[in-house]
Amino acid sequence: MKAEFINPFVGAAYDIIKMVTQTQASKGELALANSPIRGNEVNVVIGVTGDLAGQIILCMSEATALEFATKMLMNLATETFNELAKSAICELGNMILGNAVTNLGDNGYFCTLTPPTLFIGKDVAVSTQVLRFLVVPLETEFGAITINVALQEKPGKGGY
Amino acid sequence: MHATKVDQLIPGMVLAQDVLIPRTGVTLLSVNTKLTVEMIRRIGYFDINTVYVAAQEKSDKEKNEEILAPVMAETHDKSVAAVENFITNYDQDRFTQQILDGLVGDLLEQVEMDADLLLNLTHMKSYDNYLFSHAVNVSIMSIIIGEQLGYSKAELGQLGVAALLHDIGMLRISVKTWRNNGSLTPDEYQEVRNHPFYGAEYLSKKMTEDIRAVAAQHHERYDGSGYPRGLKGSNINYKARIVALADVYDALISDRPYRARLNPQEAIRLIVSDQEGFDPQLLKVFLLTMAVYPIGTYVKLNTGEIGKVIRITKNQPFRPILTIYSDRQGKILEVPIRLDLNQDENHLLYVKETLTGAEHEKIAQQISNSFPKQK
Repeated sequence: MKAEFINPFVGAAYDIIKMVTQTQASKGELALANSPIRGNEVNVVIGVTGDLAGQIILCMSEATALEFATKMLMNLATETFNELAKSAICELGNMILGNAVTNLGDNGYFCTLTPPTLFIGKDVAVSTQVLRFLVVPLETEFGAITINVALQEKPGKGGY
Repeated sequence: MHATKVDQLIPGMVLAQDVLIPRTGVTLLSVNTKLTVEMIRRIGYFDINTVYVAAQEKSDKEKNEEILAPVMAETHDKSVAAVENFITNYDQDRFTQQILDGLVGDLLEQVEMDADLLLNLTHMKSYDNYLFSHAVNVSIMSIIIGEQLGYSKAELGQLGVAALLHDIGMLRISVKTWRNNGSLTPDEYQEVRNHPFYGAEYLSKKMTEDIRAVAAQHHERYDGSGYPRGLKGSNINYKARIVALADVYDALISDRPYRARLNPQEAIRLIVSDQEGFDPQLLKVFLLTMAVYPIGTYVKLNTGEIGKVIRITKNQPFRPILTIYSDRQGKILEVPIRLDLNQDENHLLYVKETLTGAEHEKIAQQISNSFPKQK
């Protein structure tokens, strides 16, 4: 997998986290892993088609998701993962995608991204078309968010 | 069909001609395609200056809105007049249930018909008649919240009437005091804080417990910080807790003698920042109903367009329906375009920021200059 199409997602997640929480995230050690992806308690799955094909999966603990939901909801105390919190985490996904698609385009990749789907519950495993995927851990003040990138280029695609 | 500059394309526009890649003549996008963010970006990467987009057809829903809006505005005015008449001529011994039902009947019907359209109206405020238009607006918002709570029609009627009469105690306070735009003397201040007591006294014993409790308790706060009695939590009547939210929200989005109105999102923000004062369960329902970007808020999208929230999608507080008024460059569109953020094809768009109060005024002015018929 190439930096040209991984960085747009990681960069977008980084920027949006900064915007929502007003704090910096820090990137951890990258690692390669084999499908299926082991999820966390709250998982946001995004499908990618077009010049790239595969999935992006954001994983976090429920506690972290609730912290983010609270931030998104103007600091409304959010103790349970209710409708409001779900809508907030989906919106976080939309925001990251909205930025990522711009970054991808700048790197010459035109993709269609599906709306985020939320999977909740421990021990979620997602099988991906791409057998090996990249794990990008982001550390935030509110807990870790792991970005799993399982993408492959359409054959013959070289960017601009 | 209009030729549109590529940097003025807006998601949701429909192509009136194929878009061809220059020199090669290969079709990039074909006629009748509804443009998405990705497509617009893609067109932008080629050396294309203008594309042809179709004049936007109004949907049946939009045509219905155009017919319904003036009817609702008229009913709103009539309700304000009816409440004014009822309250100023109020006589404890001479009222009937029929009169009460009459006051709230139209509002109930219209909330059921199109609550969002009605909410749009609550933003068109007449400053002079604050007390009574406020009563009607609080009633509308309370009914909308009650509907979310699954109230029966009879229950909604009770809530609506209670909300209409919540400030009836204000009648005992001199007009000079409640219109005061400076600071109140300690005596005047105490007088204003007594209006819930007066209200409950005024209202006939023949009225239901709920109606009297709402008048008496709508300034009580969940954490005990309210007045006049400092009641706490479940000791406050449930309908009074609903009306408390609607009352604060409508007051915040109204011009008052002592401050200018907040934009709807600032109002929500302020209520959430004081969340201890409200029933937490109701506050969640309120936020799901009024949304994070409430009706009437001007917002800027991540792609730069500016629009106004005109509808809320149920349980999607971040994904309103907008009327887009200005393009990415800040130029007012010839024809405003409707954009539903909850449509799958628009999921890459998001509200990046809400415009400040001053920016609200400015764009509202620009819009009313460009489209004199629309308010």
